[in-house]
Amino acid sequence: MTARPIDPRTAPLRPTVAQRLGRWLSRYGLFVYTGLAIAYLMMPIAIMILFSFNKPVGKSNFTWVKFSLDAWLNPFGALGLQDAVVASLEVAFVSTLVATILGTLVGLALTRYAFRGRSATNLFIFLPMATPEIVLGASLLTMFVSIGQPRNLLTILIAHIMFNISYVVVTVRARLTGFPRHLEEAAMDLGATEWVTFWKVTFPLIFPGIMAAALLAFSLSIDDFVITNFTAGQTVTFPMYIYGSYRIGVPVQVNVIGTVIFLTAVGAVVVSTILQRRDRGA
Amino acid sequence: MSQRDSFLDRRITRRTMLQGTALAGVGAFLAACGTPPAATPAPTTGPTTGPSETPAPSASAAPTEKPTPSAVLNFANWPLYIDQDEGTPPKSPTLEQFTAKYGTKVNYVEAVNDNDQFFGTIQPPLQAGQDTGWDLMVLTDWMAIRVIRLGWVETIDTANTPNFVANLQDVYKNQPWDPQTNLRAPWQSGMTGLGFDEAVTGALTTLKALWTDDARWKGRVWFLTEMRDTVGLALLEMGKKPEEVTEADATAAFAEIKKAVDAGIVRSFLGNDYKESLVKGDLVLGTAWSGDIIQAQLEKDTLRFAIPSEGGMIWTDNMLIPKGAQHKYTAELMIDWVYDPKIAAQIAAYVQYVSPVKGAKEAIAANSDPAVADLAKNPLMFPDDATLAELHIFKALTEAEETSFNDQFSTVMGN
Amino acid sequence: MGGPLRRFRFAVPYLLLAPGLLWLTVYYVYPAVQMFIASFWSGSLSQGYTFSLSNWTNYTDAIARYEEQFVRSIVFAGLATLLTFLISFPLAYTIAFRGGRYKNLLLFLVIAPFFTSFLLRVISWRTILGDDGLFLGPLKGAGVVPEDFRLLATPLAVITGIAYNFLPFMTLPIYVSLEKIDRRLLEAGQDLYAAPFMTFRKVTFPLALPGIFAGTLLTFIPAMGDYVNAELLGQTPSTRMIGNVIQSRFLVNNDYPTAAALSFVLMAGILVAVAVYARLLGTEELTSGV
Repeated sequence: MTARPIDPRTAPLRPTVAQRLGRWLSRYGLFVYTGLAIAYLMMPIAIMILFSFNKPVGKSNFTWVKFSLDAWLNPFGALGLQDAVVASLEVAFVSTLVATILGTLVGLALTRYAFRGRSATNLFIFLPMATPEIVLGASLLTMFVSIGQPRNLLTILIAHIMFNISYVVVTVRARLTGFPRHLEEAAMDLGATEWVTFWKVTFPLIFPGIMAAALLAFSLSIDDFVITNFTAGQTVTFPMYIYGSYRIGVPVQVNVIGTVIFLTAVGAVVVSTILQRRDRGA
Repeated sequence: MSQRDSFLDRRITRRTMLQGTALAGVGAFLAACGTPPAATPAPTTGPTTGPSETPAPSASAAPTEKPTPSAVLNFANWPLYIDQDEGTPPKSPTLEQFTAKYGTKVNYVEAVNDNDQFFGTIQPPLQAGQDTGWDLMVLTDWMAIRVIRLGWVETIDTANTPNFVANLQDVYKNQPWDPQTNLRAPWQSGMTGLGFDEAVTGALTTLKALWTDDARWKGRVWFLTEMRDTVGLALLEMGKKPEEVTEADATAAFAEIKKAVDAGIVRSFLGNDYKESLVKGDLVLGTAWSGDIIQAQLEKDTLRFAIPSEGGMIWTDNMLIPKGAQHKYTAELMIDWVYDPKIAAQIAAYVQYVSPVKGAKEAIAANSDPAVADLAKNPLMFPDDATLAELHIFKALTEAEETSFNDQFSTVMGN
Repeated sequence: MGGPLRRFRFAVPYLLLAPGLLWLTVYYVYPAVQMFIASFWSGSLSQGYTFSLSNWTNYTDAIARYEEQFVRSIVFAGLATLLTFLISFPLAYTIAFRGGRYKNLLLFLVIAPFFTSFLLRVISWRTILGDDGLFLGPLKGAGVVPEDFRLLATPLAVITGIAYNFLPFMTLPIYVSLEKIDRRLLEAGQDLYAAPFMTFRKVTFPLALPGIFAGTLLTFIPAMGDYVNAELLGQTPSTRMIGNVIQSRFLVNNDYPTAAALSFVLMAGILVAVAVYARLLGTEELTSGV
């Protein structure tokens, strides 16, 4: 065997292609993966935004024709669309607020106290999620009819709060389980009352859980069709409008409104992130 | 605002509500052992018994007393199914003009997004003998037939609807399920036939294509999820008449449909979404609605609609006054209103389906805008008599037939 | 705290539970009981329905007839949940530990697509996944996949559709349970195990279990009853799930008893699965109390 002459400058570099890749991956791999995941999430949204600038020739908006700001300049330019959007936003905000409060209280009770009936309650919470929407919506309607309750915005709210509670409980519980109780105990030892301890220690710690729960509830509420349809009476919500208009052709304005809702949500966080940064910088 | 109006309006008619409650009481008693059968027998031609805005005339009241239009009319229709202007937010000239004439505010809600879904929302109140909150609702004829069969509609007092009596096209009259033509008033119609992309499939005229294993369209064919359209065309392909379908015919038709599915020719059963797939090119041939193809042609000009040589189907969306409607008289005024040829032309020019109103074609042709006037020449909007003769109306099914057919069709579709 | 308050401490959990449970009792339990009664009905719309316990056969008939769709639902929902987990966990991990000040922004990017309409997302997906769409079009052009290859109207389209639509329901709960982990624990783990993977397995993962438990259930349970994805992306008899059957039994066939019976079979199955799953995952304290 003849030994090849080894150049001392290049030798250590030989394994580094793989090594570098490994190092690069361990440093950036997660970010790349996250970037891809976010891109996957954004893909349909990008198409939706793109088609909000379309000028379709017919009533449907499936193929790209040409760029136009028409729909953006007249975002409620379809009969009944404005009422539908307003109704949906009202229902989504109020039902999210109420369901988040009710659900968080239930979540607190289930994770922080031992009491009779706890395990049954724990399992019961999953039932509304497991019930097919169609049957749930229809039974709710039957109930409203039998007690003579007219169907309107109120009945939609009742239904949305109902199906949102479970989602809130399950999400908040994920945050509360394994909660560092010693922090609270320390606060109480230092003389804080239970009330003060809750707001100063417990609440900030569980807040991300509550926020996540509220976001999920909002997304469920603003996009619900089946249960809403049964409980709506003479109200039409945004999803009902879209579902119905699909028969003839979903107006471009619907894309515009979808885009605005999306950008408002993301924009609000961007602004708050920037503000936080400035606070810290100052 | 509309919410408040309807609430006030409800209070005014409190007295009539009480009549409804008495009926509901009987219903509640029956409900003790399950649910009552359909609250009332099929409507007869006699005076309606349900509550309306004018209390039933007592013996002393003058029988000639004219009812007055109500303050509000609750009208449920499909989205994008009426003319609208360019305003922000847009308004419907047809409805605005109605309000100007009668002083009635039309609470026009695009609440009907699907026949079955909508039926699901009106079934519980009607079953309980309560009013649905709607004065006028638009349902496709097979659903209209079901609602009529259950006795859940008010009879239209044709004395209040002279336009409707005079201007309804003859083909719609005297159906077996509406012998006096006073249970429903057609809103718009459409034809069901072959829809295809001529650039891919070439020109097609026969339903046999749907059962032909041809590489140009195999696996890119759809059937409509509307049972009567798909089964109707299958029956025509087999040389049977959809008007006279029997249980045995239907079973044979389902087997025929299944054959096309099993052969891999048919990819999907679709409702309104076939139009999207057709425009995008995922699907190239199937059973289609004429109005859709008129629209889709604008996006893809190689798309065609053909009434097959074996014949096509015609379907109609109908205005119905649900049982116990609060403003029956005003609903009749609205029916009469849209049967004014000028108004009918206004609606047809926007929605571009087949108008059931005599004179609408002439009114459109007289329009000052040539683009609108040209619509009068469109055979898919105004089919001539020869075309109409090739179209079939599906038989009005009994409940047993409907249950059985739906069931078999569900099985073919996989549920 | 004063004595009188302490004496009523036992009431605190009940007071916390009361508003939420009351709401569910009135607006969920009551309708659910009606639904249960309906599952023992026989009859038809025009003749009315009668209740009889002897109609328990509604259940056996329904199971026998729709066994295939039940099995398909379990498979589709299971695969979709797995897929969602594989996408979500690294995503939640990165946001929680590497997100820095962009945490909230990233979180909103995950959820905000779901503030728009389902139908708009489906129309977009069909534009992307269509036979000659943005994805397959170029691949077919390059000859990578055969001309007649398609993604729409296949089980794959339904499963990925479900996975997409429930992504935030997996990501957010995992995120909230990861985010609370004390960094010092991770540092201690690194000192103890040296290998990052061991730290992950011994420290991070177990602490994230409550979130994983919540996330998988928030995905799997609604996915089992889902019908829209199969309806809009599947569209073929071979992709029908039990949710589609219930939908069509109820709305199209007005077969309320069968729809109700199928729903209760589904709910019972899900409850059993939740209990078993909790035990397997070792998080039974989540479902069975202390």
